[in-house]
Amino acid sequence: MLDRLQFLLGEAFIALRRNGWMTFAAISTVAISLFLIGGLGFTYVKLAEETAAMTGKFELRVMLKDGTTTAQISKAAADIRAIKGVKEVSWIPRDKAWKRYQDSLPKHDNFAEIDNPYPDSFKVILSDLSLTDSVIDQIKAQSSVDDIQYLKDGQQFISQVQAVVKWLATALGGLLFITAGILIYNAIRLTIISRRLEIRIMQLVGASFLTVRIPFYIEGIVQGFLGGFVGSLILIACRAVLAERVRLMMGWQVPPIPFGMMCLLCLFGAAYGLLCSMVAVRAPLRYR
Amino acid sequence: MDDPYIKYEDVEVRYTELVYGLSHIKLDIQRGEFVFFVGSTGAGKSTLLKLLTLEARATSGAVRFAGRDITRLPDRQAPALRREMGIVPQDFALLPRKRVWENVAYAMRAVGNTKREIRQRVPQILEQVRIGHRADAFPHELSGGEQQRVAIARALINNPQLLLADEPTGNLDPDHSWEIMELLRELNVKGATVLVASHDVMVVERMGKRIVRLDQGKVASDSAKEAPNA
Repeated sequence: MLDRLQFLLGEAFIALRRNGWMTFAAISTVAISLFLIGGLGFTYVKLAEETAAMTGKFELRVMLKDGTTTAQISKAAADIRAIKGVKEVSWIPRDKAWKRYQDSLPKHDNFAEIDNPYPDSFKVILSDLSLTDSVIDQIKAQSSVDDIQYLKDGQQFISQVQAVVKWLATALGGLLFITAGILIYNAIRLTIISRRLEIRIMQLVGASFLTVRIPFYIEGIVQGFLGGFVGSLILIACRAVLAERVRLMMGWQVPPIPFGMMCLLCLFGAAYGLLCSMVAVRAPLRYR
Repeated sequence: MDDPYIKYEDVEVRYTELVYGLSHIKLDIQRGEFVFFVGSTGAGKSTLLKLLTLEARATSGAVRFAGRDITRLPDRQAPALRREMGIVPQDFALLPRKRVWENVAYAMRAVGNTKREIRQRVPQILEQVRIGHRADAFPHELSGGEQQRVAIARALINNPQLLLADEPTGNLDPDHSWEIMELLRELNVKGATVLVASHDVMVVERMGKRIVRLDQGKVASDSAKEAPNA
């Protein structure tokens, strides 16, 4: 058993050595693609978590029409509370809003000459930022609502960043991932060509299907695994470089790359390498 | 009479509607026979051997080996079938960077022999084909005849009862060709059934064994029979 394992591993590593540059190309492409997919995926998830944590900070100010009665205000508050994506609704009476404004400008003393310009309003806190547009539409449909003010830019910025990250991970990561698969496939095919004599000898003497194929499977697994491992290392390096800058610029703490995620990238790479090698050996290793 | 060891039952190998590799081949080969398939290039002699190794498939008819119909044996059973036979290719197929003994050892490892078995058997096999004295040589240091001996040694690793040699003297001068034929004769005397595809008529006739002549995919004559069957 040990002899057999030694033989199969030996054959696989001869193959890896013989196609050094092609192996390097395959590993580095897997590494970059998994770095992009893993890194951007991680960024996306963390951004979503950050956004979810921030939703409480995003609030809408709903201005009510002049002359809205207390009964209408109560009904509107109840209706808004029932909207999906709304966490909290609190009524701000126009007098209270005016008083608050006056308090914020203590140096001015001629407020007595001015009529209260504030309408009655609601402070609405959202529970899900992604539902902002839908919540706004539903609130606007209320007959007592005059206008809505909200920090549209802030919400849109985060939403756009998420979209870009998602797009980059899907498009660039996906494209490179497919390229990596093709490179692994080609590396295996080249190995098959460079080892055609050994393969022929194995087939002449009746070596089993698996004996002939396993070295190529191992080659694919090693390439994918190393790609995942190098991708993880790049991810750690990038995090080390960017974490402090992100903290200073945006005030966000970038968490360390979880060990489980690194293992996942390596395993994913290995599984992908195996799949590509299985496809690559199908036709050329037929027993003919 | 016993069932033939190898039986070609009206075998046809057709590549296209009009191009035949073999046509209506009917042949019986008994265990322990030494048979030459001769004919010009494209006559079908190699195809007859390939039907046994499953490198080629019959379009119609049947090929029986050791009592089994192997015509439609699935590819996955080809390795086990090939371990019952020794195949000697025309081009030797030796690994250039491995020594003689390593070439044989490599093949033994590929079929699952342990290192201990290899240490025991490789010298025996090399002696059997009289190449033991060149065990440490690389293929490029050997003559054509010696290289063919190594290829035969490798074909013996599974102790086969059937040896198939496709043009084993194709790349050799007459002296070396005769040496190889003598070696195959020895293996035949020890009990192996030997099938050789060859166009080396001089050597073949000198051997005095059964000769099946092929012409355009048909059996033109069979020295074991009085009249040709095609």
